[in-house]
Amino acid sequence: MNWRAALDSPVFVGFALSLGGLLAVAGLVLLALRAAGRDPGHAWQSYRGWLRMVPLFLGAVFLGRVAWIVFVAGVSLLGMKEFARGTGLYRDWWMTGAAYFGVVAVALVAAVQDPILDRPGWLGMFLALPAYVVASIFVVPILRDRCAGMLQAMALACIGFLYIGWMFGHLAFLANSPHAYGYLLYLVVAVEANDIAAYLTGKAFGRRKLRPTISPNKTLGGALGACAVSMALPFACRAALPHFTAPQLLLTGLIVGIGGQLGDLSISVIKRDLGVKDLGALIPGHGGVLDRIDSLIFVAPLFFHATHWFVGIYPAA
Amino acid sequence: MSEPAKGRSSRWSYATAPDLDRTLVQRLECFPRQPDMLVYGFRCVAAVLLRGWLKVYHRLTFRGLEHLPRDPQQSFVLVANHQSHLDAPALLAALPMRRLHQVFPAAARDYFFTELPRMVFAAVVVNALPFSRDVAGAQSLRACRALLRRPGNVLILFPEGTRSRDGAMGAFQPGIGMVVAGTEVPVVPCRIEGAHRAWPKGAWWPRPRKLTVCFGAPLSFAARGRGKEAAFAISAELEAAVRECQ
Repeated sequence: MNWRAALDSPVFVGFALSLGGLLAVAGLVLLALRAAGRDPGHAWQSYRGWLRMVPLFLGAVFLGRVAWIVFVAGVSLLGMKEFARGTGLYRDWWMTGAAYFGVVAVALVAAVQDPILDRPGWLGMFLALPAYVVASIFVVPILRDRCAGMLQAMALACIGFLYIGWMFGHLAFLANSPHAYGYLLYLVVAVEANDIAAYLTGKAFGRRKLRPTISPNKTLGGALGACAVSMALPFACRAALPHFTAPQLLLTGLIVGIGGQLGDLSISVIKRDLGVKDLGALIPGHGGVLDRIDSLIFVAPLFFHATHWFVGIYPAA
Repeated sequence: MSEPAKGRSSRWSYATAPDLDRTLVQRLECFPRQPDMLVYGFRCVAAVLLRGWLKVYHRLTFRGLEHLPRDPQQSFVLVANHQSHLDAPALLAALPMRRLHQVFPAAARDYFFTELPRMVFAAVVVNALPFSRDVAGAQSLRACRALLRRPGNVLILFPEGTRSRDGAMGAFQPGIGMVVAGTEVPVVPCRIEGAHRAWPKGAWWPRPRKLTVCFGAPLSFAARGRGKEAAFAISAELEAAVRECQ
């Protein structure tokens, strides 16, 4: 992955042009709605958020492997900060620091060369990392000789690292695959498309509430509609997922369709328990970073390991 | 299996940051600010650089450092004359680095907290308390009192309310009296010399002139009432004390 390869890759150019086109069309539709005297309201705010996020995402992929890993690490750190501030963990600097250390370790392990197999990304260490970071988190109270409130702090730091650092970090490691453009662009676009499809089909057909306690706005109709769109998408993006057989494409669609909803609901559980609406205010119209990447966090590792099982992250030529 | 002890589950509590729904810039504006690793880091680096700059470029020297309370749990007020933007960094440099994040110079909200670059400097580097000079002044005074009720905080006040135009000290406003009247909090008077020559109001860059900060013996106003007259009397006493610092 580098900028030359990005320009030569039909997958990257295709996705970039389609995303640019989609943004342009969506902008025109919103402008037309405005001209017709209808207030697009929240949709306009949300669109402005996308206008910032899409170029950032494409820019990071365009610049290459290291830029992408740094980008994912930056998003992870911002997400971890939101999680720490939301749960109150941020008052414990040692524990928060240990979780941040874990996030940086994920990025480093994804960026270095494998010392044994001599290929980009140290996969063995990446998969073993939770053991080391969880051990580091457990060492913190021992070093400080503290007990009071430590179980909660350790639990929060572990969840923060495993969820936002490691699970989301699979997205960084995907950059080491020879098919990185296809995997990354498909995965991110499919997950966000799944979110938008859930919203739109939910508005059109949603009646029965999916999980009324956790997220009263989500409907069964929305979830099924999103699943249908997500299962069709891998076939539409076939060029991005070479070597995948038809059942594998179907399974990939299912992972995104179901995992995306579950990721959304998982963050909702956390937010509901904390009693907050959004976990931050960084992205106008979307809330915090975690409110945006919630589905990706859940889907990234599932997609990664399914792909590794189907064809291998490093396919033999 | 035995029953869990009663009340155990209630030990888990999430103290969510009160400014969670604000953007980074909005967070700098509010007070008290929540601890932030990045901000603290920048402040530490900036403090080291500023201290170096003041020592080398302005040959900053202190007199009467023994008057500063030693106990790190003791809150106190520093009251000084105000000649330039160097005053607050010079007073910060007199205090140990480990107290850096607990020292709050009061800064005019209408000047420091209206534009982004100044706000970043005030909130991140100087750790300023936004002080309203208009009708909301009473609220700012309450914020100052609340700050001093917690242990280990240092409040820096310039009771003239603005930088001196000609270097001469102006009359003290009664606000300082309202903050400290009837409290045990010690008030340390300080006089800053040379700041007007180094960086007068309106100059765009400081000149390499010598700076000296003199501290006087701490005063306490625990026995005073909280009326308007007492406030004026305390302000006048402090003004005299600042003039007398050698």
